[in-house]
Amino acid sequence: MNKNLVSFLVFVVGLAVFHNAIFPIFTPKEVGWILNRYVYFLLFVAYLIITHLLLRLSPPVSLKGLFVWSVGFYFYDYVLYPHIPWTLFITYMVMWSIGTFLYISQDPETFREFRAPIVKTIIGEYKLARIVVFTALPILVGFATYNTIYPSFQEPVELRTVHPAPPATTKVHGKTYPLESTNNPFRIDEQDNYKDSFPFLDADKHEYMKYVTEGGTIFFQNCHYCHGDQLNGLGMFSHVFNPTPANFIDPGTIAMLQEAFLFWRVSKGGPGLPNESTPWSSAMPPWEEHLKTEEIWKVILFEYWYTGWHPRTFGTEGSTSGGGE
Amino acid sequence: MVQKVLPQVVGNNLNLTVTKPKHMEMTMTNNNYIKRLFMFFLAVALFAAPGAVFAGVPDGVKKDLLEKGKKVYFKRCVWCHGVEGGGDGPSAERLYTRPRNFIQGTFKIRTTDSGELPMESDLIKTVKNGLQGSAMPAWGEFLSEDEIVAVVNFVKTLVQDRSFDDTEDEEVNNVITGIAADNGKGPLGDAPWAATKGPYHLGVPQEHIDAGKELFIKNKCMECHGGEGRGDGNPTMKDDWGFPIVAANWQECWNFRGARRDPFNPFNVARTISTGLNGSPMPNFREQMTGKERWQVAAFVNSLCPRKKIDPLTNKPVPDFLIQSVYTEGPVVPKIDDPSWQSSYTDHRIVPLSEETIENPMRHYIAMAGQITRGKRNFDPKTDNLWVSSRWSAEENAVYYLVEFDNRFLSTDPEYPDAVAIQWPGQLQDLFGAEKPYFIYGDSKKPVDVWKANFLAKDYNATNPPNEKGYQLDVTVQEFKGNGFDAISEKESEGKVEVVDSIFHQGRVKVMFKRSLTTEGADDVQIPSEQFIPVSFMQWAGWDKEHDEHMAISTWYYTILKPALPASLYYMPPIIAAVFICFQGWLVWMTKRTRKMYDEGKVQRDELPK
Repeated sequence: MNKNLVSFLVFVVGLAVFHNAIFPIFTPKEVGWILNRYVYFLLFVAYLIITHLLLRLSPPVSLKGLFVWSVGFYFYDYVLYPHIPWTLFITYMVMWSIGTFLYISQDPETFREFRAPIVKTIIGEYKLARIVVFTALPILVGFATYNTIYPSFQEPVELRTVHPAPPATTKVHGKTYPLESTNNPFRIDEQDNYKDSFPFLDADKHEYMKYVTEGGTIFFQNCHYCHGDQLNGLGMFSHVFNPTPANFIDPGTIAMLQEAFLFWRVSKGGPGLPNESTPWSSAMPPWEEHLKTEEIWKVILFEYWYTGWHPRTFGTEGSTSGGGE
Repeated sequence: MVQKVLPQVVGNNLNLTVTKPKHMEMTMTNNNYIKRLFMFFLAVALFAAPGAVFAGVPDGVKKDLLEKGKKVYFKRCVWCHGVEGGGDGPSAERLYTRPRNFIQGTFKIRTTDSGELPMESDLIKTVKNGLQGSAMPAWGEFLSEDEIVAVVNFVKTLVQDRSFDDTEDEEVNNVITGIAADNGKGPLGDAPWAATKGPYHLGVPQEHIDAGKELFIKNKCMECHGGEGRGDGNPTMKDDWGFPIVAANWQECWNFRGARRDPFNPFNVARTISTGLNGSPMPNFREQMTGKERWQVAAFVNSLCPRKKIDPLTNKPVPDFLIQSVYTEGPVVPKIDDPSWQSSYTDHRIVPLSEETIENPMRHYIAMAGQITRGKRNFDPKTDNLWVSSRWSAEENAVYYLVEFDNRFLSTDPEYPDAVAIQWPGQLQDLFGAEKPYFIYGDSKKPVDVWKANFLAKDYNATNPPNEKGYQLDVTVQEFKGNGFDAISEKESEGKVEVVDSIFHQGRVKVMFKRSLTTEGADDVQIPSEQFIPVSFMQWAGWDKEHDEHMAISTWYYTILKPALPASLYYMPPIIAAVFICFQGWLVWMTKRTRKMYDEGKVQRDELPK
């Protein structure tokens, strides 16, 4: 059998078998050190190289180039996870194509070898190939034109600032608080001492846990609809709103903010945001309308206790260790 | 001593693995004893056969895990389920599907027979996957496996009225893989069709769906679930604790409590028909139906749910954020039933549209939530989502929006009519970039224009039997200018918004709005074509006495009036293809010429380095 055909079959059949039979094995629900998609990809590449060496196959440069390019395409489109946006995909594939071209044109000999089948197709030495290619390409071009002209509409992309610059002071329930020097009045002790304490059960024993229990009670009567029972921003109404509710487990939210910043955000809610943070669609209520000042502080205390994060402070070391469980 | 074998269901594929044998004392009545002895021999006989089943005892409490379980419970669960597990945590009063009260040991989603305690694996699955459509989230990615097993064992100790350790009075029968104790026509077994396809579980043969529909009628499922399965059959049901309860809406399978994060899987329904839902009016149907028949009903029920892409984080369909209004040649037919308005609720990327509907407006999914931000907040909205489709006509200079939503029961009280509204920015020309008015009735600087249809169904009563023709609606349209939720005023200019057609049919409200694109009114939105226009939706359930800002609401979406297809679509592709063919000819000519020049020695080939 033609060795080039063997090589082609090794690639195509191998890819089909690997993709349909072996790929599922390497993408279990719980990813391990061995059982993951990148190990699978390396295995596939190793399979290609080893089979070619064992069978002493040496396909022409054009076929090799095709293999290299396809392996890249396969990696970016199927293996890499999570799937990258198509704009990035195109960028990567352009770079990969340039790389493939460099490989092909590494010296004049390989480049001529690469050109040979193309030239033969064009001048008609490969008759069937010429007929197929010269009919298929204009049809493809026609379809591509149709798709380009066909009007399609995508919703506009909108960017917003998640943590806007806070004002210097905020006025809540008639009292003005300077944001830089305001601290949570209920943070009466070191939070870590209460890591393993029980809300409700220990509320009578420790004043701190009493505040945490009260804060949690308010949270689970008001906030969990959006911020979630797990404080991860995935509450039962969270999917409805845009911007999506903040995820407090994430190291990029309360873990890097001062409590006074939270106090301002909670009190003034969506309508209190500057324009760059799209105040018109934030579903965050101005909680001063529904809660008392001390209730707001207790909720904030609870959020830190539950997530294990520490509020950012100025003067001392910044946000230190965080649990983020 | 009679040896009993404890069945345990592992994973979703219902393999049966036999774990350690349990010892039971012989203190039951003689009759019962003989039955159990028989079951035991049956169990032994079927021991080698896959999918065999045995009556067993509940999974006892693993005492060594309780310390750890208590820690997890009091950090994560206590807020809803309460200090003693009574389902009375601080959140309970504001949740419509109330947190489970553990004290009676009544659990809905199980693999065991009606009235029996659940298997430990059932509870673990509930904790891992959460209960869709309620506030119970999925803990599988949040807690470790050990923590989940521990907290489940702790929850077992919160059951006061029964005991998981009671091997004398408690019995569990796996009715999915096993033979039910007494009242059944056999286990559920495997589905009678080969397999369903993909995450959307497509490809169930139509014959099973049709058979399921007949069984659905025969077994009177519509008495609670309504004529088309929207749960609109019975408004008076109560659960075991005396709280009002409604039947599931099968057209929103992503809100099935037992969906196990796999909402389109017919197994969820087949399991529920086999086990019933303890504590609710839902019985099991094993006396009425064989395993195969239960699968067929499940196939029918499952076929009612439109396939939408499900967001793996929220377990809800991904909303269609751009509502595309289809350009219509000539006038739009203002009839909901007209063929020009028909299209599938299923996403066309999952199941392609049929030839007849491919040009019709698509059904856009709009997610709704209670308005929990300002004024009187709504913690238990009655509507989960809207479906919006739209057409516009340049000839009529008008745009039509068909808004549909499920609501099990409508109001009959003229003081609290049902209502649905479309909200627009009042002054589109004043908005810069992404700027919009505040999504709850605008703000002082940026007003909104609200088109509200209030309606009462004619000759309707919530307790009526399913009515195939549906109910005509008595609609009153109001137009509001909103400058904030506490600054809403009805417009003074003459109303331009019409409701041209409407109906309440088998639990679904359909209202078709019409307005001219341009008006004289200073407070009216002027609708341009080919531009992204912000739009949002509001809905009031009269049944729940919702009014003003006590409502369900969506965030801002966009709508666009799509232009007619350009004529160039038909002549440009052939022209470009022809140009390309010329290019190919040129390429051939050039290549051949070069070859010839090489052959004739006019040009030297590039030399390879030695």
